[in-house]
Amino acid sequence: MANIKLELVNLRKEFGDLVAVDDVSIAIEESETMALLGPSGCGKSTILNMIVGLEAPTSGDILIDGKSVLNVPPGDRNIGLVFQDYAVFTHMTVRSNLAYGLKVRKMKQPEIDREIAKVSEFLSITHQLDRKPDELGASELQRVAIGRTLVTNPEILLLDEPLSNLEAAMRNQMRRELRRIQADTGQTIIYVTHDQIEALSLAHRIAVMDFGALQQYDTAHNVYQYPANRFVGSFLGNPPMNFLKGKLAEDGGRRVVTSGDSTIPLPAGNLGSDVSAGADVVVGVRPESLSLAAADDPGRFSVPVLAVEPQGPETVVTASFGDSSLKVIVPTGDPAVERDSIDLVPVSDLVALFDAESGVRLLDSGDRR
Amino acid sequence: MPERKFTPFNFIALIAGLLFAVFPILWMVSTSFKLRSEWVTSPPTWISSAPTVDNYLTILAPHILLERRGGTQQVGDEDFGGSKDDAAGGAIADFLNRSAWPGIKGSIIISISATILSIVVGLMAAISISRYRFGGNFTPFFILAGRMFPPIAIAIPFVIMFGPKVFDITDTYIGLILAYAAVTVPFSTWMLKSFVDDLPHEIEEAAMMDGYSRWRAHFTVTVPLIKGGIIATTLFIFILNWSEFLFALILTYTNVQTIPVTLSKYFSATEGTLYGVQAALAMVSIVPLVTVGFFIQKHLVRGLTLGAIKR
Amino acid sequence: MVTNTSTGGASTLGLGKPRRFDPNDKKYIPGLLITPVQILLCVMLIFPFILEFVISMTEWQPIYGDFWLAFTSVFTQKINQGINYNYLVTDEPRYLQALGRTVIMSVISLCLEFVIGLGLASLFLKKFWGKRIWFTALLTPMMIMPVVVGYTWFMLFQYNGPINQIFGWIAFSPVNLQWLNDGTLAFIAVIVTEVWHWTPLFFLIMLSGLNAVPENPIRAATVLGASNVKIFWTIILPNMRAVIIIAFVIRGMEVVKLFDEIYLLTRGGPGTATETISLYLYKLAFEDFRLAYAGSAAFIVLVITVVLINMMLKPIRYQLVEGR
Repeated sequence: MANIKLELVNLRKEFGDLVAVDDVSIAIEESETMALLGPSGCGKSTILNMIVGLEAPTSGDILIDGKSVLNVPPGDRNIGLVFQDYAVFTHMTVRSNLAYGLKVRKMKQPEIDREIAKVSEFLSITHQLDRKPDELGASELQRVAIGRTLVTNPEILLLDEPLSNLEAAMRNQMRRELRRIQADTGQTIIYVTHDQIEALSLAHRIAVMDFGALQQYDTAHNVYQYPANRFVGSFLGNPPMNFLKGKLAEDGGRRVVTSGDSTIPLPAGNLGSDVSAGADVVVGVRPESLSLAAADDPGRFSVPVLAVEPQGPETVVTASFGDSSLKVIVPTGDPAVERDSIDLVPVSDLVALFDAESGVRLLDSGDRR
Repeated sequence: MPERKFTPFNFIALIAGLLFAVFPILWMVSTSFKLRSEWVTSPPTWISSAPTVDNYLTILAPHILLERRGGTQQVGDEDFGGSKDDAAGGAIADFLNRSAWPGIKGSIIISISATILSIVVGLMAAISISRYRFGGNFTPFFILAGRMFPPIAIAIPFVIMFGPKVFDITDTYIGLILAYAAVTVPFSTWMLKSFVDDLPHEIEEAAMMDGYSRWRAHFTVTVPLIKGGIIATTLFIFILNWSEFLFALILTYTNVQTIPVTLSKYFSATEGTLYGVQAALAMVSIVPLVTVGFFIQKHLVRGLTLGAIKR
Repeated sequence: MVTNTSTGGASTLGLGKPRRFDPNDKKYIPGLLITPVQILLCVMLIFPFILEFVISMTEWQPIYGDFWLAFTSVFTQKINQGINYNYLVTDEPRYLQALGRTVIMSVISLCLEFVIGLGLASLFLKKFWGKRIWFTALLTPMMIMPVVVGYTWFMLFQYNGPINQIFGWIAFSPVNLQWLNDGTLAFIAVIVTEVWHWTPLFFLIMLSGLNAVPENPIRAATVLGASNVKIFWTIILPNMRAVIIIAFVIRGMEVVKLFDEIYLLTRGGPGTATETISLYLYKLAFEDFRLAYAGSAAFIVLVITVVLINMMLKPIRYQLVEGR
């Protein structure tokens, strides 16, 4: 277990009556990339601002290397922040932008030159050092903004929606670039985004936020495969997770959920103690976590088919499960989908059970990583 | 900007700024209600012991003052500039001479006419410049040149130009209206241009597609759409015209008067400076300005910077 | 196509009709729209400008009688060959002093207005009680007409007026400064008056400039460890460059014309201590009635202002024409 670099303890921020951040506790390990993921307005940016010190929390604490930094001014926290709009100083050359943080730290000129040379080479912006920002494209500005922060050698690097101002093609390239930066520098990175793909592809751990509250904080794998509640399940994944309303029941020693004529088996695991047969529940299962069942598969269940949409190598089948609809991704060309109903089987234990009202995960199962 | 607190030092600075800005105005208000005996005292009187509106009556309704004392000189008249030895007739003449009505009338006629002229001419020019880029860079700056000259430098040839052998408009309304409009038209043109600039030209083009002629498109589409801007500009130009002093000082004698000139003439009245009366007239003259200025507060910066800064 | 044979050009262009004036034609509209302003400015600006030059070449004074009579005789017999100009530059220190005084007064006033205006504007970025009311109160001086401004400060600067009394309270002993009768003090009084009158404009412009400074670079600098002072000099001021230039150019255009306030406050006195170029010209032309001579002085001023202001406008010309 690596060191805990940054720890948020019951962090809370209120703006008048509005609770922007609701008692969030997160611990981030050294050299780890953590993504703060959530829809806009969920309090991610407020958390970011509190970490760097641009805003003061209403209550709670922020620890860096175990020490509270609440009374440390932003410039002395040794945290780098890259803004969504890059916030490059437009009236200065790229070189002056990179030098800004070092000059503030009263570094000597030869040393500044050396550091700038190093970081500009690392980010391949050496040939643009004497240009003004208005001559640069978005991805170059992004590099300048990252470079301006990296050159001060921060202990933690915060990136606020770093890819959202880039075009799609640039975005992939920059994502690779960010992964390289992280790998090469071993930097602890906090990455704020509303884009689940970015979070899943870049982060070791993901903290999913909604309405100011932390929904789940876990590894990328676990957040995706074992969502802690219905919101997390619905926020990640495309096409989205299927949510099947039904009642919990027992069928020959197995737990199942039934709705109308349909029944889906649940994996083994500990069920919450106050849940019993007959309770209203919602099953969450990702389209790719279901596959066509062999005729003799004991775990199979049958659903009526509503629509079949081939999409190249894959085909999306829309079926119904009681009142809910169910999407499944199957390989194109399988004759099984031509029938009125298909037999499906869940892949391993990737079926989640949520409380119908609160949306909380009920079944504790699975192979967490 | 990061959360920044309003510190005690900020508070002191704000109070100092406010006092500096407001104190002279308050002093003028206070003086306008002072008795004559309180105009010049040592130490100065800050607030009148018996506030009076007589200063206002002197300029606005001198006959009330005269009626009050039955048209004859009485004890206490020295409060109003007369002396006990004056004959009643002399006092009447004295009071009527101080009426500000000729100045108020002149200011209203000239300011309103010059404002209308300036706005109409400026609006046409603004459309021409904004929509057709007429004259490229030269024309807009040529128009602006009218505002660059010190008015006194232009006033010297005006004296001859307005004289009998040329236009013969010295001491007439028309003369001052033309002069005022000429010095305010750069402001109206530039300010209106900035409002027309704000309006997407597709709107007029749509009207032209619908078969409107260009003239009709401009005057039935453009003009109504910048109505707010036109009103703001009109009020702003009115402030400028109402405040104009030099041309009226030089180009009028007795026929035409304006408030600023009337105000400056009290200064040299034989009885010395009539502080209270002058303050009362100053109050009367700035009330419309401050009212109008308050309404177009958010447009003031646009007007004064010729549309370069919009908010 | 063949009906018109009047010009070869027209037929090769395929134009069947002879050109006729059509007020709806796109090429006439801008010209027609601009004509009224051109007429107004030609009559009230260009013509006087030329006339001024003509006067300045003569020795005419009102006591010589009607200008046109004098003009025809003078002009046909002799032009004074720029004697006025020679005299102005070589033998009239008062003229050059007035020019210099105007420049000094303008520079001091503008700098003070800038500093105070920027300071007040930066206060208004913060939150405090009654912001709107104080904002309006701070703008009031700007809306008051110059004559009243001059008169008001004339009252305040009396030697037994409130300013001396307030200074007395601060100094714990009576202060009897002869504000308007002492050269230096009168000069200061004029500057105070001008600063009072026009700081609100700087305040307004600076506030709009400050509000337009993007927030994130400031935050970025904060996170990089820059102090507030450093941020002000390295981020905020450079971002306000255009706005500051506009403020100085616009106010510069007005401040060199300064007349009304001084006319009521000091009349250029005592002596010539507060005599700006406008006051000097006024006295020359309308108190001494040396119109031709004043005309030559004014003509030089006109040329200087046009050249100077054109130079000053250069950096913001684009912004002004394009309307941003």
